[in-house]
Amino acid sequence: MKRKIHDLKVEASIFIERHRFIVFPLVLILIGLFCYFVLYELLIVKVFNIEIKYELNYAVYNTYYIKATKLTYIQLYLSGVYTTIKISLISIVIAMSLGTLLAVFRLSRVKILDIFAKAYIEFMRNTPLLIQIFFWYYGTDLLIPDFFKKWLYGQTSTEFAYGVIALSIYTSAFIAEEIRAGIQSIPKEQMEASRAQGLSFLQAMRLVILPQAFRIVIPPLISQSLNLTKNSSLVMAIGVVELMAASRFLYEGTYRVFEALTVTTVIYLSLSLLISFSINQYNRYFLKYIRY
Amino acid sequence: MKKLFVIVLALLMIGAVCACEKAPAPAPTGDMGETAAPAMSTIDKIKDAGKLVAGVKDSVVPFGFVDEKKRELVGFDVDVCRYIAKKLKVKIEFKAVTSANRIQMLTDGEVDILAATMTHKMERDEVIDFSITYFMDGQKLLVAKDSTIESVADLAGKKVGSVKGSTSEKNVKEAQPKCEVISFEGYPEAFLALKQGKVEAVTTDSVILVGLKGSDENPDDWKIVGEFFSSEPYGLGVPENDSEWRDFVNFTLMEMWVEGDWQKIYNKWLGPDTNYYMPLSWQIELWP
Repeated sequence: MKRKIHDLKVEASIFIERHRFIVFPLVLILIGLFCYFVLYELLIVKVFNIEIKYELNYAVYNTYYIKATKLTYIQLYLSGVYTTIKISLISIVIAMSLGTLLAVFRLSRVKILDIFAKAYIEFMRNTPLLIQIFFWYYGTDLLIPDFFKKWLYGQTSTEFAYGVIALSIYTSAFIAEEIRAGIQSIPKEQMEASRAQGLSFLQAMRLVILPQAFRIVIPPLISQSLNLTKNSSLVMAIGVVELMAASRFLYEGTYRVFEALTVTTVIYLSLSLLISFSINQYNRYFLKYIRY
Repeated sequence: MKKLFVIVLALLMIGAVCACEKAPAPAPTGDMGETAAPAMSTIDKIKDAGKLVAGVKDSVVPFGFVDEKKRELVGFDVDVCRYIAKKLKVKIEFKAVTSANRIQMLTDGEVDILAATMTHKMERDEVIDFSITYFMDGQKLLVAKDSTIESVADLAGKKVGSVKGSTSEKNVKEAQPKCEVISFEGYPEAFLALKQGKVEAVTTDSVILVGLKGSDENPDDWKIVGEFFSSEPYGLGVPENDSEWRDFVNFTLMEMWVEGDWQKIYNKWLGPDTNYYMPLSWQIELWP
């Protein structure tokens, strides 16, 4: 009897694991419904006599933000989502490349590179991102030569560019530390063996060590990518209309704070899940051939 | 697994028991969520506390800003609130607000009155109440002295700076759909962007522009151009559905005009011998 129950449990676990993309959301929805109908309606409303009177009105999304160009809030929102995705993707790519470079600097025998990388990482990790954004946007004004300035400031996407620069430089410091830890976890014998085979330091890094290290370092990189996506909301301080700024336009114009923020949360959540899912798939398909 | 089952069963039983209870009289639940009249009227609340809490701006010259030398909040809005507090014979306390959070602070009850360069708009009137217009303004453009921009039509394809949560960013986009509006966190930041050339113009209510221009080291490097492309009647914000308080504020404002105190405050901040001169061409609405 016990063995049959045990077998059933094993079968059930396998089934849940195989169809986990359906089972987990379903369970979450069921828990949500339970919380609402049982806990809220029966307990809180009837017993404690507290009721939340708030009429959800998602139709405000279709009202006009700008009547002259017939721009609705939905279009503003979608353009904000598009901008956030653009910023996140571009910054992730730049941050990862910069981070890898810095990690290699940290590990090289050329002292100057090591010291430079260390100073850079310490500075960028220990200052808030908002201050860095303001520094790049307002502070570098004095350093740009005049003939370049007029062209640069006339572009519609200067704020976007400054946001990308600040974000990628900030995140690259964190990524460099993660990658350095990953590289140092590869046994030293790998480096010795590759040098013995005749590869230079850089060749050894590129062909032997880094591919192995990358597989180890993927989970921390995923968390840094998610951090970057969420930090991208800070660039609204310099005027980039991304998702957070668009939702702010919505709830300042219509005072529907709850609707605006729920949709924004759901969008950030799906964006983050999408990023971690794709990096995990990359890990699975492209790096599965790396054996120790 | 078994524990989980037991817990779920217990919750369901509690739920079932509660469902069988008769709900008590609906009167208490009915009043709880609406924007009903406040339990205690604002005037009583102010007299009880002995002070009027006013929400004012703290970085908008010359309406509400911090005087460098005296290190205290001064300005047109500040003086209007002082007059109202004197009329009520209570002390006054100021709270700094921004365009983005001022309405929230009033609806939450953190301030009793809002004097924060707030335009009286219909959509805002649905959430809070406004006094009669105590200042009439419009929107204009602040540009560099040697700029070629003369009006809103010249803004096509150019970048314009404004502030988040204000009516200006929407109005300039309505007036000139082809311009790029960059929204900053506050007026000083927008002005800094203008100085560095990152935006070609800054747009907001003309009085705030006058304040920005006048508080610069070289006020003559900037000029204010263009016709008014939106009208901005400023109103004092008061909590919703409190007629007694709103009437008191309205009567006080009219009294201020008739006695000449309004004109005195106006000349103090926007008169001919200040940095921010703006000729007065409007009259408050007076009821007999």
